[in-house]
Parts: sequence; structure tokens; C-alpha cells
Amino acid sequence: MSTSGDTFECGHSLEQLSNYLDTGEFSDPGHLPDCPECQAGLASLRRLGELGDELVTADLAAAGNGTDDWMQSILDNLRLELRPGRDIPVHAGTAGDILTETEGSISALIRSVTDSHPGTAAGKCRLDGDVGTPGAPVTVRVDVAVVFGHPLEERAAALRRDIAAALARHTELNIAAIDVTVADVLEPRLQGAPAAWTSRPPQPSEETP
Amino acid sequence: MTGSPPAPDHFDLVPDALLAGRAADGDTAAFEALARRHGPLMRASARRLTGSLADADDVVQESLVQAWKQLNTLRDPAAVKGWLLRITGSRSIDHLRRRKNHTALGTVEDSVAAVSGPAEGGNPESAALNGSRMEALKAALAALPEEQRRCWVLKQFNDQSYEEIAQTLNISTASVRGRLARARVTLAREMEGWQ
Repeated sequence: MSTSGDTFECGHSLEQLSNYLDTGEFSDPGHLPDCPECQAGLASLRRLGELGDELVTADLAAAGNGTDDWMQSILDNLRLELRPGRDIPVHAGTAGDILTETEGSISALIRSVTDSHPGTAAGKCRLDGDVGTPGAPVTVRVDVAVVFGHPLEERAAALRRDIAAALARHTELNIAAIDVTVADVLEPRLQGAPAAWTSRPPQPSEETP
Repeated sequence: MTGSPPAPDHFDLVPDALLAGRAADGDTAAFEALARRHGPLMRASARRLTGSLADADDVVQESLVQAWKQLNTLRDPAAVKGWLLRITGSRSIDHLRRRKNHTALGTVEDSVAAVSGPAEGGNPESAALNGSRMEALKAALAALPEEQRRCWVLKQFNDQSYEEIAQTLNISTASVRGRLARARVTLAREMEGWQ
């Protein structure tokens, strides 16, 4: 291939070919299959792309694992500020005292109840309603992911029951409804399932659809 | 946070979208799982962009702080990986601009060359060949004009679109297209003997 000039004899340039490989856009697509210069240019760019992928792979390996000390030390330095969300009043035993719990602590409670179910993890969690007014109806919406093979209806029902029980025990919210949305069905044992997911009982259908 | 934090590997199978959703709700454990999952690529990209191992870790840390603050602006939680890499790209460029104000250019180029150090091990049979081929690519990359190298790394490592690269570098998409092509022409020529 000719790399000395910017433009080939056919009138096209490596810049156009580079753009074509990234975007699929080319002024004269019919020209490409029959032009030896453009073909050589494309082949050269594709080889470079493969080398680039190799470099990313090598650099990624050299960067180390996310469980290594370097990442731990970065995480230790982050000091993420908490997101408490709204204040939710709690009945005080003594008149004049004001007690509140935070929305963040309640969504953490819901996540913790959800995560304790085998093969289940919570996602986004919402408290819809005026949580600042005692007795106002509140709807809980929580996204969950369930490992493939768990009966979804039963799981959702069990989750609603356990979340309702936990909220009744730890809050004074007037829960109107608990909406559990299965946002994801997870494929188990993709890269050696971690212990948290393998404690589930064997399921009748293990094959993927 | 209340509730016992899950074991570090608890989230291994949980998809990005779910983790990003709960991280946006304030779940630090889910955010840390995302950081552990994508941190290595953020670090690798920042290393190539800044040319410095120490700077790369600073960039990753700054990027994660920014990500935590801005998670609620992420419209598509499933796209959190690309979003983290865009932040990493921007923070890396900021880092370079700040450093430029303090350091002579020669020192910067030296440290870029320093990152092109000996490659890590691997398959013994092909390690020598692959190793030296990778060394050749690293050297060619280090010798590129800085703006071209930035475009190439943002495309190759961070998988950014022309528009995203243009935004990160504060240049036009036409400039991105041109610089990327010139970077590739030079790199392809340098690597011809290694094909």
C-alpha cells in the first residue's frame, strides 16, 4: 500500500477508509471491492485494528484485577458521601421529640431483604408517595434480578411478603403496594458462579433456552 | 448504610444496569462492585492517555468520585461502562492539561516512553514475538503527536464515537476524523514489518 501520500491514485484516501471502517460511510461503496489500493489500505487498517485490540488486552492484563490492592486503595480514598434521601418521621414516645429515619436507610433495608433471597439481587428501589406525612400511602417499587431457574412468580410473592414484614417491623410507613419488577434473569455459572449464587437448590431445568 | 455489606463477589453475576441503579440510590457496595469491574480498563486507558502509572491511578480515583456524584444523571444505566470510560477520558485530558502547566514537554514524552516498558509474560512460545510486536506498537504510539495519540487511545481503549472524542478533546468531529486517520496511517506504516 502507498502511505507516502494522503490520496491514492484512485482518488480515495486512507482517511476516507479509516472513516469507513468506523462508520460504514463511504462516498462510493461500489468502488471498494474492485480497487486494489483501497483493499490494501483496508487490510492494513484492519491489521492495525487487531494489533490495537492486542494492546488493549495486554494493557488490561498489566493494569491488574479489580480485586487487587491498587483498587482497594483507590476505593479506600473515595470516601463516598452518603445519599440519605428524604427524612421520614417516626412516632416519638415523648411529645416534643422529633425522630426521623432516612429514605436511604429504608431502601438499604429493602435491598438487604431482597439480596438475602437465594439467587436474587435488588436493583433500583423507589418509595413513591409523601413519606414525610405520617400515614400517607406509600408504594414501594423495586427492580430485582433473579438467577435463571428460579420460579419468578413465587420469588416475587415471597419478596413482597418479606419486604412488607421488614417494613412493618422497622418503619411506620403506610405501605399501599409493593411492586416487584424482575428486570433481569441472570445466567448462572458464566465464569464460575460465586458462592452466593451456588447455594440455591438444584433446579429441574438447567439448560438455557 | 444499614444492612450488612454483601461479600465482594456477591455482585459478580449482577449486570451493570442493576448495579448502576442501586448505586444511584446510594448503595456504595454496588458502586464499588462497578468500580472493581471496570476499574482495570479505566486504569489501562488512563495509563495510555497520561503516560504515567501514578497519574493513571489519580485519574481513576477522580473519575470514580465524579461518577458517584453524577450517577443520577446517567440516563441508561446499562451504558455505565461507556459512561465511566468517557469520564476517565475527560479526567485524563484534564490531568494532562494541568500537568502541561507545570512540566516541560520533554518530561511528559519521557514518561510516555516509560510506560512502554517491558511487557508482561504470557504464552512462552509467542511471548517473544508478540512482546516485541507490542513493544513496537507502544513505541510507535509514544512517538505520535499528542493530539493524534489521544484520538487513537480514546477510540481504541475507550471505544468512543467521533462525537464523544470531539467533546472530550474540545475539537470538531472533522478534526477527530483527520487526526485518527493520520495516527492510523503512521502506526500502520510503523507496524508493516511486524505483520
